[in-house]
Amino acid sequence: MNIRASTLRLLLLAVSPLLTDCSSSASKTAAKPAVEAASTATTTAKSKVADKAGPAKVAAKDEEVDEYATTTADVPDPLQPLNRATFWVNDKLYTLIFRPISKGYELILPRPVRKGIDNAFENVKYPVRVVNCTLQGKFKRAGQETGKFVVNTVGGVGGIFRPAEKIPALANLPDEDTAQTFGKWGIPSGPYLVLPLLGPSTLRDTVGLAGDYALNPVNWPYLYWYGSRSKHDWVVAPPSANTLRALPAQINRYDSITKEAVDPYLSARSAYSQSRAESIKK
Amino acid sequence: MTLRFLLPLLLIAAPLAASAQLADAQVRLKSAITEVLTVADRAGNRSALPEKLRPVLEKYVSFETMTKRSVGPGWKQFTPEQQQQATQLFSTLIIRSYSSKFTPGEHPTITYQAAVEPAAGRVDVPTSMVYQGSHYTVIYRMEQVLGWRITDVVIEGVSLIANYRSQLDAQFKKGGANAVISSLTQSVSRPQ
Repeated sequence: MNIRASTLRLLLLAVSPLLTDCSSSASKTAAKPAVEAASTATTTAKSKVADKAGPAKVAAKDEEVDEYATTTADVPDPLQPLNRATFWVNDKLYTLIFRPISKGYELILPRPVRKGIDNAFENVKYPVRVVNCTLQGKFKRAGQETGKFVVNTVGGVGGIFRPAEKIPALANLPDEDTAQTFGKWGIPSGPYLVLPLLGPSTLRDTVGLAGDYALNPVNWPYLYWYGSRSKHDWVVAPPSANTLRALPAQINRYDSITKEAVDPYLSARSAYSQSRAESIKK
Repeated sequence: MTLRFLLPLLLIAAPLAASAQLADAQVRLKSAITEVLTVADRAGNRSALPEKLRPVLEKYVSFETMTKRSVGPGWKQFTPEQQQQATQLFSTLIIRSYSSKFTPGEHPTITYQAAVEPAAGRVDVPTSMVYQGSHYTVIYRMEQVLGWRITDVVIEGVSLIANYRSQLDAQFKKGGANAVISSLTQSVSRPQ
C-alpha cells in the first residue's frame, strides 16, 4: 500500500518534465542554429536522394515529391503495438483527468500570474541546464545560464519576472536536459517509447528523465527526506505545484499535435523525434 | 573578347540577383502575415477563422505542393482527380490546424532573420516569434510556384509537411491513393 502510493506520487510528480517534453524548450530557443540546422537538413536530404537515384533526371524528379523522405526518418519503433496501446490509454487519461485539471487551473489564475509561476519554476531548474551545458562542453553557455539565473533571481523577484530577456547575451537561451547530453555524446535514441502519463519518449530520453528529476531542485526535499515522508508532508508540494503549472502548456501542445492529425500516434511520434533531433543540435 | 569586360559585371550581378530573390520572398511573406492578421482580427471568433482565412492563405500558400510532398512518391500514382481531391481535403486540414494556433486580436511580435537560399528557386525565411509571452522559432519555406509561395512551416524544428508525410505515407502503403483520401476525409469530418 505504502509502496503503491509512493510510486503513484512519483509518477505524478514526474509528469512535470514532459508529456511531449518540449513545452519548456518551446519557450526559449536560439533562432540562428535552427536556421543552420534546417538548411543542413535540406542539403543532406538532397544529397541522399541524389546518391540513391542513379540518373540525374530521376533524382531531380524524385526530389520533387520525395524530399521529406530522409527528414521523416523517425526513431525506430519496434514496440509499436504496445506503444499504441499506451498512447490510447494516455489520451483517455488526458481527456478525462488532466485536461479538466488544466482548464480549472487556467480558469482560477489569470495568464500573467501563471506566466510568473512558470518563470519561477523554470528559473529554479537552473541546475538541470547548467550541469548539462557543462557536460556537453558548452562552457560559455553555462556561464550565460549562470548570469541569467542571477539576474532573474535577484532582479526578477526569485525568477517571477525575467529581466534577463532584455539583455541580448542572456536572452532566449536554448533549453538543455540530460537526454540532450546523451544525444550530444553520440548515444543513439534507442527504441521509441510511449510512457504511461508522460507520453512520447525513447529509451535514451527515459534514462535522461531520471537525471532531470534528480537535478531539479523542486524534487530535492522529497529526495532528501525520502523514507521519512510522514514527518515532512510538505515535500510533495513543490513537485506537485510544478506538475500542475506545467500542465496547460503540455496539454495545449498535445492537442496541437494530435487534433488535426490523420494518425495522432504517428503525428506525435514524428513531432517528438523531429523536435528532439533539433534540440540536440542546439 | 570584347565581352570580357562584362565578366566582372556578371560576377556582381549574380549575388545581387540572388539577394533580390531573398528580399522578394521575404516581402511576400511579410505581406502574407500582415494580411492574415488583419483578416483574423476582423473574424471575431475563432470558429469563423478557417473560412475567413482560406482565400487569403490560398493566395500565399501552395497547398498543391504541400499535399504532393506530404504524400511522397505515391503521389505519381494518384489520378488527376484524386490529386485534386486530396489537395482540397488536405488544405482544409492545414487551414484548420493553422487557425487553431492563434487567438484573434493577439498579435505575435515577429523578428525576421536573414533569409537563406537552400536551392535555386527556394528560400527559407527564419523568424523568431514572441507570442503570449513565449519564444518560438518559425521557419517559413518558400518556393516559386506562380510567385513566391509558402510550402512548409517549421515550428521549433518540427516541419508541418514532414509530420504529415509520416502519417500519409503509412496510409499510402496500407491502401494506395484511396486509403490516403479516405483517411483525409475522416480527419476533416471529425467534429471540431
